[in-house]
Amino acid sequence: MSTNTPANDPPRDSLAIEREAADWLARRDGEDWRDADQADFVRWLDADAAHHVAYLRLAAAWRQTGRLQALGAGWQGNGPPPRGYWQAPLATRSEQLLQAMAERPAARGPARKPVWVRAIATAAVLMACIGAGAWGWRAYHQVEITTYRTAMGQVEDLPLADGSQATLASNSQVEVRMSRRTRSVRLLQGEAIFAVAKDPGRPFVVDAGTHQAVAVGTRFSVRRDARDLRVVVTEGIVRLESSPGAGAPQPASLLPADSIALVREGGVLVRSVAPGDAQRLLDWREGVLAFRDTPLAEAAAEFNRYNPRKIVIGDADVGALRIGGSFRWDNAQGFAQLLEAGFPVRADYGAERIVLHSR
Amino acid sequence: MDGDLDRWFIEHILVHEAALQRYLTRCWPHRDEVRDLRQELYTRIYQAAAKARPASPKSFLFSSARHLMADRARHARVVSIVPMGDFEPSHVLVDDVSPERWCGGRETLARLSDAFDRLPDRCREVVWLRRVEELSQKEVAMRLGISEKTVEKHIAKGMRLLADALHADQDDPAAATGVDDEHEHAR
Repeated sequence: MSTNTPANDPPRDSLAIEREAADWLARRDGEDWRDADQADFVRWLDADAAHHVAYLRLAAAWRQTGRLQALGAGWQGNGPPPRGYWQAPLATRSEQLLQAMAERPAARGPARKPVWVRAIATAAVLMACIGAGAWGWRAYHQVEITTYRTAMGQVEDLPLADGSQATLASNSQVEVRMSRRTRSVRLLQGEAIFAVAKDPGRPFVVDAGTHQAVAVGTRFSVRRDARDLRVVVTEGIVRLESSPGAGAPQPASLLPADSIALVREGGVLVRSVAPGDAQRLLDWREGVLAFRDTPLAEAAAEFNRYNPRKIVIGDADVGALRIGGSFRWDNAQGFAQLLEAGFPVRADYGAERIVLHSR
Repeated sequence: MDGDLDRWFIEHILVHEAALQRYLTRCWPHRDEVRDLRQELYTRIYQAAAKARPASPKSFLFSSARHLMADRARHARVVSIVPMGDFEPSHVLVDDVSPERWCGGRETLARLSDAFDRLPDRCREVVWLRRVEELSQKEVAMRLGISEKTVEKHIAKGMRLLADALHADQDDPAAATGVDDEHEHAR
């Protein structure tokens, strides 16, 4: 090592100090931390500014590693994902995830089974219990079921029992089931955004008929139309899979942040979009519909999700006009007037509908 | 503990560690001493800032680094004939690290996943269970069938390796700062 240290000011070996600092930090991170330890720790910390600084440096970095949770969102395997998982292309990642899930019950034992096994088991046991009248046991595994619905033109924030947040769009309905083991939401109609509270042991499942979206801690929306199902992910990772009992199961798709999945006639299309574009699709929550180079026919359909007074496209030309901008969804009339001012459009304003024609 | 000073130190000094590390490595001929230099530098700055916070933390950091190396080089002249590097501040790329970069966004996540992937197997597993699955050290020990003491050792080691990777943004933290852990593997 160094032979050139000045004799009057011998700095202590930094590696030794760093190791001590790491030991203290690791001990504090454990459970057996007592007052006496705290006193020893403070004494060590105050003995030398070098101790203090080494400790600060490690503690700051360790705090940062809490963000590993963001990386962990969506991963359902037993322990950490294989090395290189986050650098791998999405298809590979999806495969690794499914592989890990397939291996999991054996590796982890009965404590944590895949969601569907647990769901079936819980359901089966619940039925047995009702039959047998074992009320005490049932109370332990109680499932709270709550139904929420919004009227046309209404948007509502719903704090859920597990700390998650749902925002229900206009004319939508969900049924929320919370138990100690599962968190499941059935989207019966319309659209909802979910900001999911982290709970690795209790995945958050949104069932929308043919498919379900599974998250551990993330932010996404699910929307259900007569024909389509759309999932927009703005944070974390969501797994989209066939709902149990919805015909032949399909392979699951992994949806990363800033992606949009469209399910139509059984097919799943996943599209990655520029950061921010996915968020734009959820702007309705702030009372705004945002469009970019969107055919007017589509924009009108968006407005119609929120308003009983419908915007009707009078001819093909007007429907094909492409528009952009942000508009309050509760002001369809203002939107039509803006169109009249800026486009070759004429609007007929009726009590129940606004008809747009090209002029 | 002075919480305010600590926060200042993390936000205004530690964020520049990557740039500092490059500067020290470039200027100082003995790689194995860079960690010592860095620590002494941090200690001096922390003590100085306890009296008065420098107006421009970043330039204070780099000018202090220059002085420290010049000091050490003077004392070393007798034993070393290796030419010293150029300590001039013009050689510091002052703006290759900003605080935003350190604490913000996707890039941090990429760096974090990278740093995490470079941990040794067992250490990586322990850090994952503790940090992501949020098991306690005791629960981690039970899950992996190892002692709590061993879990603690893995965590301490993970803390050091991750700190090197996160603060210093090094391609190879072990080579750059001498975390030669061959002889201290937690069993």
